Amino acid sequence: MSKKMFLSFIILSLFVMPVAAQAAFPEKEVQIIVPYAAGGATDLIFRALAESSAKYLGKAVVIVNRPGGGGAVGFTEGAKAKPDGYTLTAVITPVTILPHQVKTAFTYRDFAPIINVVDDPSMFLVRADAPWKSLKEFIDYAKKNPNMITVGNSGAGGGVHLVALAFERAAGVKFNHIPFAGGGPSVTALLGGHINAVSVSPPEGISQVKAGKLRIIALFADERFELFPDVPTVKEQGIPFSMGMWRGLAAPKGTPPEVIKTLHDAFKKGMDDPVFKKNAHDMSVKLYYLGPEPFEKRMADDDRHFGNLVAEIKKK
Amino acid sequence: MLESLQHLFTGFGIATTAVNLSYCLLGAVVGTLVGVLPGLGPIAGIALLIPATFGLNPTTALIMLAGIYYGAMYGGSTTSILLNVPGETASVITCIDGYRMAQKGKAGTALALCAIGSFIAGTLAIFGLVFLAPPLAEAALAFGPAEYFSLMVCGFVVLSNVTGASLVKSLMMAVVGLIIGTVGLDPVTGDSRFTFETTYLLGGIEFVAVAIGLFGIGEILSNVEKPAATLDQSVTMPRLRDLYPSFQDLKQAIGAILRGAGIGFAVGLVPGPAPVIATYASYMVEKRTSRHPETFGQGAIEGVAGPEAANNAACQAAFIPLFVLGIPFAPPTAILLGALMIHGVVPGPMMISEHPDVFWGVIASMYIGNFILLLLNLPFVPLFANILRIPKRVLLPLVMVFCITGMYTVNNSISDIWVMLLFGVIGYTLRKWAYEGAPLLLALVLGPKLEVAFRQTLMISQGDFGMFFSRPISAFFLAATMLFLCFPLFRAAVRQWKVRVNPA
Repeated sequence: MSKKMFLSFIILSLFVMPVAAQAAFPEKEVQIIVPYAAGGATDLIFRALAESSAKYLGKAVVIVNRPGGGGAVGFTEGAKAKPDGYTLTAVITPVTILPHQVKTAFTYRDFAPIINVVDDPSMFLVRADAPWKSLKEFIDYAKKNPNMITVGNSGAGGGVHLVALAFERAAGVKFNHIPFAGGGPSVTALLGGHINAVSVSPPEGISQVKAGKLRIIALFADERFELFPDVPTVKEQGIPFSMGMWRGLAAPKGTPPEVIKTLHDAFKKGMDDPVFKKNAHDMSVKLYYLGPEPFEKRMADDDRHFGNLVAEIKKK
Repeated sequence: MLESLQHLFTGFGIATTAVNLSYCLLGAVVGTLVGVLPGLGPIAGIALLIPATFGLNPTTALIMLAGIYYGAMYGGSTTSILLNVPGETASVITCIDGYRMAQKGKAGTALALCAIGSFIAGTLAIFGLVFLAPPLAEAALAFGPAEYFSLMVCGFVVLSNVTGASLVKSLMMAVVGLIIGTVGLDPVTGDSRFTFETTYLLGGIEFVAVAIGLFGIGEILSNVEKPAATLDQSVTMPRLRDLYPSFQDLKQAIGAILRGAGIGFAVGLVPGPAPVIATYASYMVEKRTSRHPETFGQGAIEGVAGPEAANNAACQAAFIPLFVLGIPFAPPTAILLGALMIHGVVPGPMMISEHPDVFWGVIASMYIGNFILLLLNLPFVPLFANILRIPKRVLLPLVMVFCITGMYTVNNSISDIWVMLLFGVIGYTLRKWAYEGAPLLLALVLGPKLEVAFRQTLMISQGDFGMFFSRPISAFFLAATMLFLCFPLFRAAVRQWKVRVNPA
């Protein structure tokens, strides 16, 4: 290459570069912070989504696990990341719970929602040989014996714990809530008969229900669970209550809208990808799409709801 | 039982196809690597490779991912022995005698014994898995919060004096471990404890940071104060004939390996940090039953072979609750559960009948995998042992870099590195005053679980302490603990009585 050509190349590239930077948003790989340990349900579903969305985004999508503090460590880092669209956060229901419980450096308002991916129903499971055959018997027993039914959950202040507390209020009963370190240990304790029921969200406990060792006694969803179409929701049985556990993606507040749109479109296509759909189906995860605005509304609603609930618990 | 054997043969047919064999080898290699690198453990290794398995069939995928898990148990001891840096939680105990052996020029023997011990224990545990899986898994369910609490009290009291230095000092370190374990979110109310309003401390103090700090960094610091001359020459050259264990060494180790395998298998069935408890228990048993307990802490072969066999057996036993109940008792099996589900295989009571090809194929691959690991690890022994030829002046700064990068990979957190360095300084001072790090680490692992189990029990019983004594398994463990504590007293009393009965 002659000196002249080289110079002109340099000058030319000086002109071209800024234009290119503006035009194509993902110039490099996009990172998703998962605030939970590798291998959990949240981690796995976003790993599968990252894999299926990369081809639509044109760049690789990398998962980074930042576990700790019930998700607080990862949420904080995600909220404080540079709002350029290269660092996204896997936001799940606790992002609207934690700030009410402990002092955190973030609230859901620090995030710009991109897309909601999953909305899992929550449910109570009991052992197959439990004395309660129906929701009505279960609630009647609980009314007569307040604080006697032990209900396990996957961690104090976690999603399924608050579901159990909220259901208590809706049904007008009192349970004895026992926290465990995760969904696995709580289901184990139920199988061993150490507690009476457990509050979970799929895929936890599903394989035991399929095997006939556990039963769904209460399903908190707007519609029936496709794996077990015979199980009625509590709404159908006269208790106006439903609560799902959502999982979606968000960018830090202040990310340019056109970047959000590019990301949303790529992840939406990734969600519709047949491979991802199969992965989600195999994990018994219920996909539920929401665009940026409805997702923001969902977060705001839950934040208000959980804020009230936590305040009520703390007053005691 | 005959039926099991028949299925197992079918499983071997599945596991020995060219594709499955090569993925088994790949898993074993990756597992060894993540085991050798401190910080990067089996969990991260498996998570990274899950997307790569999306195109494979579930059996092949699980063969590879399981290979990473048990492969890491082989590699974990390497840095413990050579550098006094525990590769992962299960190889903390290996540091004690393994590092001493290496300093005496017997690094090769220690490394080779770890591989052989792991192989024997791993293979025995798979036999247990094949023949005893369903009944044992059901038995594990008998452990509720009360039983779990009593078991941990027992483990805590018996194992905290594992190195047998000074009981008072050991208990003091254990209490420090318990205190550190309370940092973070309260497991029952969800309030923050001792976090000083920082987000980082909400996650608690990372175990790996404390372990690498106390052992690895502490060791580096205590070398720094030595005169420069020793740093240049103090390297022990392993002689060629010392690279592999002699027949004498093997004979000395075999009992420890078999006992370790038994302990590991039994402990592996109980929910919780099985490999850690199994290694401490094995070390304790070896020391108690040894005819020359004074060699422990000075490079006793049994003190390396036993715990290494135990952690491998515990790791294989952990597949029983995963496959039979569909419930992971430990984080690495939790991630394997996730990997299976993403392939549409749901582990649980139905797995053996619904997916016999996956179940038996994977079991058979474990036999093959253990064999591959033995073949893979033994030739590496001279290579790894020769690391000690590097002058300490050069080696120690390298180890420091190695620890720091390794620490970062655990949670991708810079703060973890600072915690590790802080515990390095603490480890150095503890060394100066002859306090042991091992009881602190044990308490740090058991403490939070002990607390949860205690509070859960009282919540279930509505505040009635009687629950600990009214349940048979729980009462048994509490009684065993009392006996252990009172035994020295009782022995002294008997001696006194004897003296009084026949005054000499």
